[in-house]
Amino acid sequence: MSVTAILGTSKGAFVARSDKDRSSWTIEEPLFKGWKVTASGRDETGTYFVATASDVYGPALHTSKDLKNWRQIEKGPAWAKDSDRKLNQIWTLHLGPGRFYAGVDEAGLFASDDGGESWSPVEALNEHPTRPSWGPGAGGLCAHAILVDPSNTDRIWCGISAVGVFRTEDGGRTWHPKNQGIPVVLEDKKHKDVGFCVHGLAADPDDADTIYRREHVGMFRSRDGGESWQRIENGLSSWFGFPVAIDRRSRTLFVHPMESDEYRMPTDGKFRMFRSRDGGDSWEPLSKGLPQQRAYMGVLRGALDVDHLDPCGVYVGTTAGTVYVSRDAGDSWTELPCTLPRVLSVSVFTDG
Amino acid sequence: MGKVTIELPSVLGPIVDGDRTLTFEAETLPAALAALTDRYPALKVHLYDETGAFRQHVLCFHNQTNTRWMDSIDVPVSDGDTITILQAVSGG
Repeated sequence: MSVTAILGTSKGAFVARSDKDRSSWTIEEPLFKGWKVTASGRDETGTYFVATASDVYGPALHTSKDLKNWRQIEKGPAWAKDSDRKLNQIWTLHLGPGRFYAGVDEAGLFASDDGGESWSPVEALNEHPTRPSWGPGAGGLCAHAILVDPSNTDRIWCGISAVGVFRTEDGGRTWHPKNQGIPVVLEDKKHKDVGFCVHGLAADPDDADTIYRREHVGMFRSRDGGESWQRIENGLSSWFGFPVAIDRRSRTLFVHPMESDEYRMPTDGKFRMFRSRDGGDSWEPLSKGLPQQRAYMGVLRGALDVDHLDPCGVYVGTTAGTVYVSRDAGDSWTELPCTLPRVLSVSVFTDG
Repeated sequence: MGKVTIELPSVLGPIVDGDRTLTFEAETLPAALAALTDRYPALKVHLYDETGAFRQHVLCFHNQTNTRWMDSIDVPVSDGDTITILQAVSGG
């Protein structure tokens, strides 16, 4: 058994490897040196995908079988010449089973039916009637969260900032905003069903209708596929934060709260993760091994992942370039032996 | 038909297999640039935006002339000409 983490940063990707014990790690030399690595993933065949971006040279999607030899995909997600939109970044990848999806900035969703070699826009979402009222959040106008119901892949949720969550029940032919119960942050004069600032989504692995939603204005849960949302903040140090991750085996949830949208740093300089073992009804702080004095780094929305082993491993990268790993479901943490550029994305894979 | 050299920045090196100084036979500047992206199609998305123009922060020099200040880039190239791709440096 081995564990591999792709740590995507503002200046390249760093591959970290360990055995199943996860106590000793090697960090390899950077891949895509100088490029932002904004998302990564692995499909069912074991093929890796990495999304890169550059303020100068734009975004691209790359693929590899071995994390060493990479090939840029030539027909990656791209807006049409006459679309009046620019592709600034690939924010998230959903690599099957079945259809692949990519969420991008400038906001939209693209799909691939040939294993990622070519991509087409999901028109019904990208040209949604509310589109003229879509506005960006601080991170841009971006589609950054994709959930697919494993028992019915025609049911898909897409989170767009600062627009909200949309759901399709017919494989992407029609999409409907699902934000009932969420306070609006950018109220539109015409379309009252957009203007919500979703930060992150995670679904219960056995019940796709149970969805956890990190929102600009709090932590929420839906038990009805997004029809309604309720706050679940009991025990959290603050309501603000970006990523949410769930362990497939134990259904344990992990988040990193930050002090408000104004400050976006750990409260009182204490870097703490929070865990829920009861579906978000209550949260407990996790601090053993994490810096508890003068720690003011943040965690971006893609920089948290879990490995689904028993006990669950948790991996969180920070804006200060540190990466913390727990191999006991959050009870204790160690820092990886590296100081990286700002961590943008973390993806963890297990083998054997 | 002139033999021109195209020089690329290091960050784009992996896309051209590491050889950042390339030579092409071409009659015009657009033909030389087209020959570059024909040989390395993955470069296209990094040099040009959705409209087909150079990306905002990508500079292209024909010898010592910034193509951004040319009335038209549809100019002939000669043996020994150099086309240089750079990233615009701003701030610091």
